[in-house]
Amino acid sequence: MEDEKKELVPKKQSLFPIQAEDIVDNALQNLDEKQAREITRKAADEVVRIAVEKRKAEYRNSAAQEEMQNLIRNADLLDKSVGDYKINSTFETASGTTNVEIRKSKLTSANIIAITIGLAVLVLLIVFLVLRN
Amino acid sequence: MVYLILAIAFIVLVGFVYQKYKSLLPLFASKSSASFHNAELVKTLLNLDEKSFDELLVLYKMEFGAGAARYARKTYQKWKAGKVRPNRQTFSRFLVHLPKVMSYDLKCEVLRHLMEEYCAKDKYELTVYTDDWERTLEPLVRKIIDKPYTAELPAPIEEKLRWLAEGEMQAARDILRKSQVEEGKIAVSMLRQEFENIEKLLDSTTGKRKVTHKLKFPYGTITLKIKRR
Repeated sequence: MEDEKKELVPKKQSLFPIQAEDIVDNALQNLDEKQAREITRKAADEVVRIAVEKRKAEYRNSAAQEEMQNLIRNADLLDKSVGDYKINSTFETASGTTNVEIRKSKLTSANIIAITIGLAVLVLLIVFLVLRN
Repeated sequence: MVYLILAIAFIVLVGFVYQKYKSLLPLFASKSSASFHNAELVKTLLNLDEKSFDELLVLYKMEFGAGAARYARKTYQKWKAGKVRPNRQTFSRFLVHLPKVMSYDLKCEVLRHLMEEYCAKDKYELTVYTDDWERTLEPLVRKIIDKPYTAELPAPIEEKLRWLAEGEMQAARDILRKSQVEEGKIAVSMLRQEFENIEKLLDSTTGKRKVTHKLKFPYGTITLKIKRR
């Protein structure tokens, strides 16, 4: 019960395993027999399509998980072997697309600021020395 | 001379503003005058999957003759690419006459395409942290999952395509809506696992990391910038 409360989409609301009747409801009123048959068949087809979509989503999820593990390993290898690197990866997951960018550079923004300040001090020093002479 | 300089300055300014904001222009364009044009509706039809489109062309041949079908097949890529605009007759044949002889499945597919193309879509962009994403996202996700229940085709399209109002098509809409709600639920059913993966990735890597995740639903998207505290 506690787990169910935590679910983003509560299990009780899910239509899985759904039945064709679940998605036809009162739609068959005021239709002739042939139409009613077609609609019921279409609803059954949709149930199958949704089941296939669910399986595809599960597959995408497990594939993305594996690819992320690979990305972690690759980043770790690069970390050990080179100083500067940039990785861009895209993963197709069950819910959409994840984009990851990992960038490592010896020239961090803190370093750039330090170098800029250093250069400024150097320039000021040179100017000071030139003007003094 | 002063006026000439002012005119040049004005032209340069207009050019600059146009270049800077031209990407926003479609947002202000009138949807009813552009997207609901007959030719655009036909183009929506051309995005049907291969099987459905073949079925459509078989019907086209039966109804309007081999010559018309040959022309339709030949011009199909040009219509799709927008090189040739389908005329009023083409629209009328594809979307007014053919539905009378289309199978129920095919009509449902056409309806699905029209709804996904023309029903209003929501776009959200937000920043979430790995420890608070669920609280932030839950109300939004619930809202967007339930959106198919209220999604409606714009009135001008309903007026043009009267067959959409028939009883069996109303039933098709109900089926489609429930099916799209299910698609949304499937999309988020593994979200917790996905965030665990992302959190693990952020924990296990060093350097500057940028992670974005785009959640896709039939009637909208949520783009997340994911950060770790």
